[in-house]
Amino acid sequence: MEKEVGAGHKGSFTAKVLSNQQIRECYYRLNLKLDPIGSRLFETAKPGRFVEIDLAGLPLPPEDKIPPALRDAAYRQILLRRPFSFSDVIFVPGQNGPCVKLEILYCILGPATLRMMTLAGGDTLNLIGPLGNGFALPDTLKKAVLIAGGMGAPPLLHLGGYLKRHRPEVETICFAGAKSCEDLPFTLKIGNLTGLVLEEFDVLGIPSLVATDDGSAGFRGFVTDCARRWLRDNQPNPGETLVYACGPEPMLAEAARLAKEFDLPCQVSMERMMACGIGLCQSCAVEIKTDSPGQTEYKLCCKDGPVFDSRNVIFNL
Amino acid sequence: MEQNVDLTVDFAGLKLKNPVLTASGTCGYADELAEFMDVSKLGGVITKSITAAPRKGNPTPRIVETDAGMLNAIGLANIGLERFVSEKIPVLEQLGTTVFVNVAGQMIDDYVQVAERLAKEKAVAGLELNISCPNVKQGGISFGTDPTQIRDITKQVKAACGHKPLIVKLTPMVTDISAAARAAVEAGADALSMVNTFTAMVIDIETRRPVLANRTGGLSGPAVKPIAIYLVSKVYQEVARPAGVPILGGGGIRTAADAVEFMIAGAAAVTIGTATFVQPDTALHIIEGVRRYCTRKGLTTMNELTGSLQ
Repeated sequence: MEKEVGAGHKGSFTAKVLSNQQIRECYYRLNLKLDPIGSRLFETAKPGRFVEIDLAGLPLPPEDKIPPALRDAAYRQILLRRPFSFSDVIFVPGQNGPCVKLEILYCILGPATLRMMTLAGGDTLNLIGPLGNGFALPDTLKKAVLIAGGMGAPPLLHLGGYLKRHRPEVETICFAGAKSCEDLPFTLKIGNLTGLVLEEFDVLGIPSLVATDDGSAGFRGFVTDCARRWLRDNQPNPGETLVYACGPEPMLAEAARLAKEFDLPCQVSMERMMACGIGLCQSCAVEIKTDSPGQTEYKLCCKDGPVFDSRNVIFNL
Repeated sequence: MEQNVDLTVDFAGLKLKNPVLTASGTCGYADELAEFMDVSKLGGVITKSITAAPRKGNPTPRIVETDAGMLNAIGLANIGLERFVSEKIPVLEQLGTTVFVNVAGQMIDDYVQVAERLAKEKAVAGLELNISCPNVKQGGISFGTDPTQIRDITKQVKAACGHKPLIVKLTPMVTDISAAARAAVEAGADALSMVNTFTAMVIDIETRRPVLANRTGGLSGPAVKPIAIYLVSKVYQEVARPAGVPILGGGGIRTAADAVEFMIAGAAAVTIGTATFVQPDTALHIIEGVRRYCTRKGLTTMNELTGSLQ
């Protein structure tokens, strides 16, 4: 089994929309079926990578469907592709090689995602991917601690599912946090023992804990504090435990501090504004410590990341 | 009977396969682009700016999207001359297309040092002089807005280029672009590249701060195209055609029609920039579209197209 999940081939391909379901107020789940080129490219796609989707040609939803907060932004034109992580990659064996289905969770945030609301079964999209490098999954891994903040959750859901399928010996736990319960891109339900859990992780057999800043669901406070309490109680072995975090940058910085506190390695999935996603524009710089003390350099989130070892990252706070 | 279209272009003493190149700063060192298309089909590639010493570039955010365009303030991030020569030149040698290296610096000596070294490389067909970067404080645009400085730097860098052609890239941020073009041509520029991005700003109305960490950036994309067309047309009429110096035109090209428009305005060849970010193989579609246009119009050479504005 590979230690580092490196970038393989990438390319431009099309995908058919299978479904585009609203799952909460502003959250949608998009299921895509990739064409044969995309399916081949995704044969080796591991959790933590991403795609760039061309959304510029999509129409706006009808005015009454546009959330009031976005009525103004709706009239902005879009030009560049938008990057999306995926929450699941499903291989369906077929006669002419596998067919890949991609699940993308997205939040209606601006003029591009607003246009995605109009996607319906049968529509075609143009994608570039799979891009970037995924999460490291060392052979020594026995315990995976996933920390998700808000819309940082999808790649960790993919990681959870991937570990269950390919590394069943790894014990995985997920902490998911958001400002408020309606900002969680998941379905909440009452678990057997632990109180509130996330249905999407529960069906994978992965225990989950919920934290909200306002206390509207689960632990009241930051998701990293919720995880800290668990780490204190469980004291996982540093040699075989990895923390995986994805979410807003201040949360990632806190996850990095938390991992250091417990002497655990931590993989953070970063986000940056990017024009191309393939290393051409150099816009998605992440400041990384070099081997020389006190020295830093910029790495590209799209090509060198989006996953980085948290010990090397200088967070933008 | 359908006539064959000869897409080749005589450009500053070089023979380009066709008039479509990828613009500096939008195709990396061309190796990333090679994963998405057959780069050897391009008329040429222009690498991102190379400086004598490596440059980290600006803090983020480095880009922001606008309606019909984007602003960038990368800050000439690059691996520096030494690493470029050892790591990237071997890759460029294998591309099978004409390679121009964009050269930048803070002082004239920096430019001269980089140009002198790169002109010796067989893989480098020519150099593009960046005196128009809006995103670095010294060098960059400050050279490009003053005809006296343009003359001075062009003369010194041209002397360092040996027999390799020197393209001078002009900034549109001047009151009289023909004066800038004239200064470059008089000082020995073999070609003019125009235009670089337009200095611009986007403000976040929630925080009331500029979105870009650099505060300002260079606007590119479809929004700038009609201005760039006008500037190419003006410089072609007033400077380039009389002097017999070719123009490399660009600014917001997305389609073959855009490319043809630049050529009619006076460009001998065109550069594709921002559109490559959206669709990496845009340039190849444009080459085919230019061919179709010429066939439809009964044009057999690119010379018949360049400067054919009525």
